[in-house]
Amino acid sequence: MSDVLDRHHVHVSGHGARTMVFAHGFGCDQNMWRWVAPAFEDRFRVVLFDHIGAGRSDLSAFDHERHGSLEGYAQDVVALCRALDLRDGVFVGHSVSAMIGVLAARQAPELFADMVLVGPSPRYIDDPATDYVGGFSAEQIEELLDFLDNNHMGWSQNMAPVIMGNGDRPELAEELTNSFCRTDPDIARHFARTTFRSDNRDDLAGLAARALVLQCTDDVIAPESVGRYVHARLPDSQLVLMQATGHCPNLSAPAETVAAIDAFL
Amino acid sequence: MPSSEASTPTPATSTSNDQLLDLFEHAPCGYLTAGPDGRIDRANRTLSDWLGVEPGQLVGRRFPELLPIAGKIYYETHFAPLLRMQGAFDEVALDLRRGDGTVVPVLVNARERRSADGRTVSLRITVMRARDRRRYEQELLDARRRADAATAELRELTHTLETRVAEELTQRQEAENQLRQSQKMEAIGQLTGGVAHDFNNLLTVILGGLETIERQLATPGKDPLARIGRAVAMARQGALRAATLTARLLAFARRQPLQPKPIDASRLVTGLADLLQRTLGATIALETVAGAGLWPALADAGELENALVNLAVNARDAMPEGGRLTIETSNACLDEDYVAGVPEPLPAGHYVLIAVSDTGCGMDQVALQKAFEPFFTTKDVGKGTGLGLSQVYGFTRQSGGHVRIYSEPGHGTTVKLYLPRCLDTRCVDTVAPQPENQASPRGSETVLLVEDHEDLLAYSVAVLRELGYRVLAAPDAAAGLALLGREPEIDLLFTDMVLPGGVDGRQLAEEARRDRPGLKVLFTSGYARNAILRNGRLETGMDLLPKPFTGEALAARVRAALDR
Ligand SMILES: Nc1ncnc2c1ncn2[C@@H]1O[C@H](COP(=O)(O)OP(=O)(O)O)[C@@H](O)[C@H]1O
Ligand SMILES: [Mg+2]
Repeated sequence: MSDVLDRHHVHVSGHGARTMVFAHGFGCDQNMWRWVAPAFEDRFRVVLFDHIGAGRSDLSAFDHERHGSLEGYAQDVVALCRALDLRDGVFVGHSVSAMIGVLAARQAPELFADMVLVGPSPRYIDDPATDYVGGFSAEQIEELLDFLDNNHMGWSQNMAPVIMGNGDRPELAEELTNSFCRTDPDIARHFARTTFRSDNRDDLAGLAARALVLQCTDDVIAPESVGRYVHARLPDSQLVLMQATGHCPNLSAPAETVAAIDAFL
Repeated sequence: MPSSEASTPTPATSTSNDQLLDLFEHAPCGYLTAGPDGRIDRANRTLSDWLGVEPGQLVGRRFPELLPIAGKIYYETHFAPLLRMQGAFDEVALDLRRGDGTVVPVLVNARERRSADGRTVSLRITVMRARDRRRYEQELLDARRRADAATAELRELTHTLETRVAEELTQRQEAENQLRQSQKMEAIGQLTGGVAHDFNNLLTVILGGLETIERQLATPGKDPLARIGRAVAMARQGALRAATLTARLLAFARRQPLQPKPIDASRLVTGLADLLQRTLGATIALETVAGAGLWPALADAGELENALVNLAVNARDAMPEGGRLTIETSNACLDEDYVAGVPEPLPAGHYVLIAVSDTGCGMDQVALQKAFEPFFTTKDVGKGTGLGLSQVYGFTRQSGGHVRIYSEPGHGTTVKLYLPRCLDTRCVDTVAPQPENQASPRGSETVLLVEDHEDLLAYSVAVLRELGYRVLAAPDAAAGLALLGREPEIDLLFTDMVLPGGVDGRQLAEEARRDRPGLKVLFTSGYARNAILRNGRLETGMDLLPKPFTGEALAARVRAALDR
């Protein structure tokens, strides 16, 4: 088995007494922090990594069982933070990684003193029984998963490697023009299933660290009501409603994102 | 839209606004632009036509809103970040929702225009229809999925097949071992019959010795120490002989893996003769002929013994009235002509031949054809298993040899075993043959004692003489009959049921009574097969003393027989 830091294609940069760990969400890799992370390198040791199955992580380390729940991803985070000797650090998690961070902090409370949750959602599917609005009906999520099962979403050019089989001709994938956020279709399906069926609402209350919830305007994936819910359930949190629209303020509004995190820290 | 009815072709150098507008609206692809917030500010007619809406209806919406739910999620999580990072994306396959709820498969290209500080200024998106291409891709995907499934199935099948073959092989090996063992047990069953007979004789000798000692201690006769010494020696010899037999039987019964080793076939045959003779019974004469300068053979000694026992048992069954069994060993050369006529692969060359011949009933053509088949038997239920010759066949084949049956109905059968010659000069010893002494005790009393077991005969003679009888002793029927012819005064014939040389005790008694109708007869036997007692009854004037017997029992029964 490869070293945990190699497995996650970890990049460490910057200087500082405290460490800041940036975790990407579903669909991307550590590249998505390219305009945010550098802003902290003068005060923090900055850690970037890819979840197993994403980016340049070790795909062979992907374990359908372990990575069939967010807890498994959280265990990965704990393992790599321990390998980096982390204590009282700052965790910045986008999208599903916000919740992965919360779970990791619960598994190993000594790791993080501050949590920045960008577009978090503890549950994507509405739960009428508890009046919870996640933003999606169960049918819609099933439609997504169904679609992923029966098609490789979006990547027309990626159809080639899919059709010819992965690994047969890896150079084909390298040549593709849509070079970021390339994913193994099988792993992407699995990650989508794990992400969109998760329900970690009950884990919020146990978070010991301070938390910042960054909520975008017009976020289809994590609507404002969800941000408010997370803020309400976390013991010690601040909510910032951003001007940025969409689901990725770290890309669409990096300056606003950096400013908000700075203010929180 | 301004009317262009009256317009005339415009020179290429001055493209009119109308023409540009027309190019935009009716380009053969969908086209839209959006502002920094991602909201559509302009969409062309081609696109709105494809989507079945008015162009105005698209303005103000964001591009992902045109997608079904799955596309929307995928766009937000994959393509929006990609667009920001790369500034563009190409050939992204998406479905657009139409006004009527159906979808249009399209390929989407996008370009972002950025300000100097990297902010989005505007967004341009072109949309190509991709229905055929999508269908084609879908077909390829389906084909691939089917191929994957077939491969997986094949792998699974290969795997199960491999494990099945492995299981099957172990099972078969296990079954073969069991078959071998049961064939052996069958042979042992045949052997034990003979050995039990012998055993009872030996027990009688031992018990007799003990009894003599007891008697001499209670009421010492003349020279008691010498008598006790003789009795002890007799008992010890009986016990030693019994121990040898048991060891022989146990060695035979032991479950062992096949171990081909160099064998001296002649020595093996002579070593086995003793056991075989017991199996054959007294009415069949056994003859062994050892070829000169016999080559060593390469085979498993235990299995060869097993095969010989099986052949002897078959010969015995083929000769219910008695006869002769001959086992010959010799060197043999099988030439190309001979091996060409053999169905199994068999190299021409040197072999060691063991030929087992009987003077029995022989086999007809059908039996000859099927004799080697497992479970082929012409014998009654309980008498034959049909496994004997299949063991012989299996053994010779496994040894790289060959077996052939020659048979003449009504005359006899020869089974020839060809075992490969061992070119290794070392030769493993087989059990040494047991020397068999013949001693015919003589006497001058009125009891004729016929017993082939030497020790037992000596013991019985001693017992009867000590009781004052005049004892005539004979080791077999022929000798007994001779004595009967010579000696006018014989009151009692005391004979073993099972006798060597082709005439048993019962036939001896019948013969004797022909000349002396009232002759009293006392039989003894330890080996009570159906052949000995017809319907379990004896004729008048005849009695049976079962073995083992004590001197006391012998005295009492002899007395009773004479007094009757
Ligand atoms: N020496 C022989 N003489 C006549 N027939 C024989 C002889 N050996 C074998 N056979 C025939 O071949 C058959 C098969 O023999 P075998 O395989 O030993 O089984 P089994 O003795 O239990 O019947 C016998 O039933 C008998 O008909
Ligand atoms: Mg037989």
